Amino acid sequence: MAAQPRGEIYDIGYRRYEGPREGRNRARAALWINGVRTALGIGRGTLAKILPILLFASTMLPAVIFVFIAYFTEGFGLSDTVDVPSYPDYFGVVSILALLFSAIIAPELLCADRRSQVLQLYLVRPLTSTDYVAGRWLAFFTIALGLVYSGQVVMFFGYTLAAAAPLDYLRDNWLAVPRFLAAGAVVAAFITTIPLTVAGFTTRRAYAAGFVIGLFVISSSIAQTLVGGTGEWLRWVALLDLLSVPTHITDMIFDQVSESGVAQQVSQLNSFIPIAWYLALTAGSAGLLLWRYRQEGQ
Amino acid sequence: MSYLLEADGLAKHYGSVIALDGVSFSIGKGVTGLLGPNGAGKSTAIKLFLGLIKPTSGSAQALGELPYESIEVRSRLGYMPEHDCLPTSLTATEFLVHMAQVSGLPPAHARTRAADTLRHVGLDEERYRAIGEYSTGMKQRVKLAQALVHDPVMVFLDEPTAGLDPMGREEMLALVRRTGGEFGISIMLSSHLMGDVESVCERIVVLEGGQVVEDGQVSQLTRETETLYVEVDDRRDELLDLLRQRGLDTGLDGLSIVIDNVADEGYDTVRDAVVESGARLRRMAPQRHRLTDIFRR
Repeated sequence: MAAQPRGEIYDIGYRRYEGPREGRNRARAALWINGVRTALGIGRGTLAKILPILLFASTMLPAVIFVFIAYFTEGFGLSDTVDVPSYPDYFGVVSILALLFSAIIAPELLCADRRSQVLQLYLVRPLTSTDYVAGRWLAFFTIALGLVYSGQVVMFFGYTLAAAAPLDYLRDNWLAVPRFLAAGAVVAAFITTIPLTVAGFTTRRAYAAGFVIGLFVISSSIAQTLVGGTGEWLRWVALLDLLSVPTHITDMIFDQVSESGVAQQVSQLNSFIPIAWYLALTAGSAGLLLWRYRQEGQ
Repeated sequence: MSYLLEADGLAKHYGSVIALDGVSFSIGKGVTGLLGPNGAGKSTAIKLFLGLIKPTSGSAQALGELPYESIEVRSRLGYMPEHDCLPTSLTATEFLVHMAQVSGLPPAHARTRAADTLRHVGLDEERYRAIGEYSTGMKQRVKLAQALVHDPVMVFLDEPTAGLDPMGREEMLALVRRTGGEFGISIMLSSHLMGDVESVCERIVVLEGGQVVEDGQVSQLTRETETLYVEVDDRRDELLDLLRQRGLDTGLDGLSIVIDNVADEGYDTVRDAVVESGARLRRMAPQRHRLTDIFRR
């Protein structure tokens, strides 16, 4: 009988690390990748994945429905009587869903680290508090971009294939691509920054999500109710609808005005004002978040 | 000798509160204890050496650099905080791989280092379980492992035995000794427990009220004194009388005879007196200084 192969395990003791050290850039990249994985529930249990999948699917649904509308409209020769939803219409419909997605998912990136006090372990490594916030922001911004672009890409290819002459459709509508890329970035930056800033002030994800949803629903309800009246001042009141802040910009990018009362009122203001309002809210929130984390690192 | 940590006139004020008041000291290789009561300035000193806060005046250098200005030096420093700092939903392996990458190690190297480090701190199969299921002792090991995973030159351990039972405490102290000895990683151990510092550290810096009140080798601070303790089973009073007759400065401390200012020849005198009194000698030993004495002065 042949001798059984035998193996032995040796304790070779502690070995010093002689490999590469890639410093701050590796740390930033690791933070970004970890943020994307955390937000999507990758590497965690099934439950952690269900919510992102459901929310992602719900934002894709409008795009798929729009494509079906386009397909049947073209197929049944109704293109002269039925208006197929446009690209900016998608942003109008999906902004609530995207905000819901970010209000629920984004806070997990900051709240968990502060709740478990892992944050201090990051800050003693080759990372500044700005690196940390930027890494988490970029991680969710990546997801938010993927979210809004996916719907637009589905719409663009769906509309192209549904068209009677796809090549003609492409030639006539190619400008929609840079437009939805820019508009998507505007929406993604907004829905990333506001929930993350709120999350910077609590260790509980549920509190942050509740606050963000409440803030947007209440501001939107107040503005929608008030703009029904008359008077020039209502143009300014319409700006209070935080839910519509990014869609004013996407309307400008696509050179159209949505039919909502808020959008109609804001369209009468100098276009500089909604842009400045968007930038003030987004950059102001980002500044507040950075300040908060600089205090945290002390 | 090149120092790993150097404080030069280091001061940190929080408004009117003075956390550190212009202290100067240097720390070389080996295991150094940073000792002091709560509020002495230990945590502030560690934060300054890690570059988390900026000194009000003076400088805190780590590995020859100013960590507040050059944060890359932190990739060669490690830190184990006193309180909880672990994500409960991750496994120890996942957490350590991530911490290694955040310290600058590429992913493949990070995975190898995480496995090695967890083995060295005594976590084998458990490393695939969620940290939330760990005992306090296991969590302390993970905290130590994350401080070592990137193989730092110097590691700061803040109260590493906090919350551990006596057996867990001994195991953690053994691990700290191994880290400083076999692993060759220098340590600054911050503690208010004299026993921990005395049993692990070669040197101590004692802070009190933001100032250095003692700085030296543990062996020097715990050296023998000129006080001799003698314990006998019987004839204690006879022995006491004989010692006094021979001019020794003698008193009682519980059941022991205490002889102060004993020079070398004094030992012979005590020996002769014990023989003459016929007392049965149980113990005769010089008293040692203890680290607690530093705070009694």
